[in-house]
Amino acid sequence: MRTKIETKKYLIVLAITTLVFFGALLVSNHFSEKRLAEIKSIENNISLDILSSETQFALLKESSCKAIDHSTAFSEELNELAQKLSYMEENLGDKNADVLNLKKYYSLLQTKDYLLIGKVNEKCGIKPITIIYFYSNRGDCADCKKEGYALTKLREEYPELRIYSFDYNLDLSVVKTMKSIYLIKNTLPALVISDESYYGFKDPEEIEKIIPQLKKIRQAREKATTATSTRK
Amino acid sequence: MIETFFSSIFYIFLFMTLYLEVFFLVTFLEEREELVKRALWGKLSYYPSATIIVPVWNEEKTVSATVHSLLRLHYPKHKVKVIIVDDGSTDHTWEIIQKFARNSRITLLKKENGGKHTAVNFAIEKADTELVGCLDADSFVDKDALTEIARAFNEDREIMAVTPILIVHEPKTILQKMQKTEYYAGAFLRRMLSPLDGIFVTPGPFSIFRKEVFDKIGIYKRAHNTEDMEFALRMQSHHMRIRNVHTAHVYTTTPGTLYTLYRQRLRWTYGIMKNTLDYRFMLFRREYGLLGMIVLPLSLMGVFIFLYNFGFIAFYASKNIVGKIIEISVVGVYSSLPHFNLFFLNTDFTSLLLYILLGIGIFFIWNGTRITEGKFRLTLSVFYFVILYGIVAPLWLTRATFNVAFARGTKWR
Repeated sequence: MRTKIETKKYLIVLAITTLVFFGALLVSNHFSEKRLAEIKSIENNISLDILSSETQFALLKESSCKAIDHSTAFSEELNELAQKLSYMEENLGDKNADVLNLKKYYSLLQTKDYLLIGKVNEKCGIKPITIIYFYSNRGDCADCKKEGYALTKLREEYPELRIYSFDYNLDLSVVKTMKSIYLIKNTLPALVISDESYYGFKDPEEIEKIIPQLKKIRQAREKATTATSTRK
Repeated sequence: MIETFFSSIFYIFLFMTLYLEVFFLVTFLEEREELVKRALWGKLSYYPSATIIVPVWNEEKTVSATVHSLLRLHYPKHKVKVIIVDDGSTDHTWEIIQKFARNSRITLLKKENGGKHTAVNFAIEKADTELVGCLDADSFVDKDALTEIARAFNEDREIMAVTPILIVHEPKTILQKMQKTEYYAGAFLRRMLSPLDGIFVTPGPFSIFRKEVFDKIGIYKRAHNTEDMEFALRMQSHHMRIRNVHTAHVYTTTPGTLYTLYRQRLRWTYGIMKNTLDYRFMLFRREYGLLGMIVLPLSLMGVFIFLYNFGFIAFYASKNIVGKIIEISVVGVYSSLPHFNLFFLNTDFTSLLLYILLGIGIFFIWNGTRITEGKFRLTLSVFYFVILYGIVAPLWLTRATFNVAFARGTKWR
């Protein structure tokens, strides 16, 4: 006699499979929410720090430029935030409401930081090293991914360099204003360096050529490293 | 929209694969007490007589070792007969097997080349024992294999055929090592299918039948170069019980190069699909139990599901690889090295499901190895299987699907 089909067993297996399948979905959602909360928390911290710097700046005015060293502040945090946000965008899609909100907040924070660093440097007579980067991830910008990698590398190499990246298609008035200020055309990727716009992919070497200060920073760093190793 | 459509199919297939894995897992839990009864080896109250047929065709290198392994069986000598059938070899096989001519337990036969199944049939007609089996000339039996198989026949009168556990003999190349682990996984699945009457192949290496099977349903017939499958399906269609005995071990040599592996697997996959189509009256018929409801439909659909899932994963993997190549071309190898951060550990739904499926798969390999070897050791074979199998299998699966769709046959070698 052939072994009969035990309907009960098939149903139990179906129940376990359904449980595991949807369990995986729930766990995955839970992790996504945790990540989004982490991004939100980083954004809140940066927001608080910017507010603190603004207040400190307003209190001290130009009398004490040394007291406000904003040149490298938040650079690392902004870099980390950008990477995490881009990862979530890839995973949850660029139409996800939570991702979009975090991205808008991120764009606002960048703009605030951009304004603050502009003011601080102007009053203290320092020329800021900034790059404003416009990209699109709607599939119409073949080189944006490459440009993203190039800028991430520069960001890691030069904490003094502040890169502000904006999604060209983001529906946010601040981004639209930035676009109109710098007259950015829809020929992406687009970079704004020292008020001048550059279109098309620029590799790290090309950008280093456009910003001579970077070369100086590198030379100074190399000199310092050599001095340290000689002392040893 | 199109992406959603393809993703939905992918998730349905993942669900089906998961269902099957859970099904085997539950069966394993039901069977686990039977599996630990390993050290049963000992004398039997009754030793049925057996004829072992060794069909040979140009097997001058391995035939002696195969026959010697049969002569060393721990089984009463007068109860085992060996018939070597030379199926028109063109090398020195016939001369080599002459050394067994004086052995009263061995009969040598020679015929014109007609294919393996004709050689086996030639000998079946001359067999007069209770059990009749076959041993391919590239395989070697463990000394207790026949005793363990006879024990199963003794325990259940309804058992009509018994298949052993196949173990890869002395794997040398990476592909053979990959197959070693594949065979362990196969051993586990076959053992799980056994109590559910789901076995659909009685492989050439040492599947043993009651002689009455051939009297009732006939001998082997031409079936897409996979006569072993056709015969098992014919038995199943007559509701004849086939069991797998995990304590009977047979060592078999496996293809060492990609081309020979491809040829063998193409023949198998094509054979499974074509034989299933020939026995389509069993599909989705409750009277054929698990075989009709799940195993056979899957043997047709499984190839497609595997290829679809493979294509889907390969598509996204290649996108990532292209992305990584672009990154390296822009920033260099050093800067593109990933920095470990838990945040970037992939926990999306698809990845979690794949981790689960892989985990259960490794559990099967682990248990397949345990029921075969007694214990599991993590070796490179497992690594080769996990990494390589998914890459090489689509080669023959794609071709077999193509051949079935466009009615093209396969060759033995």
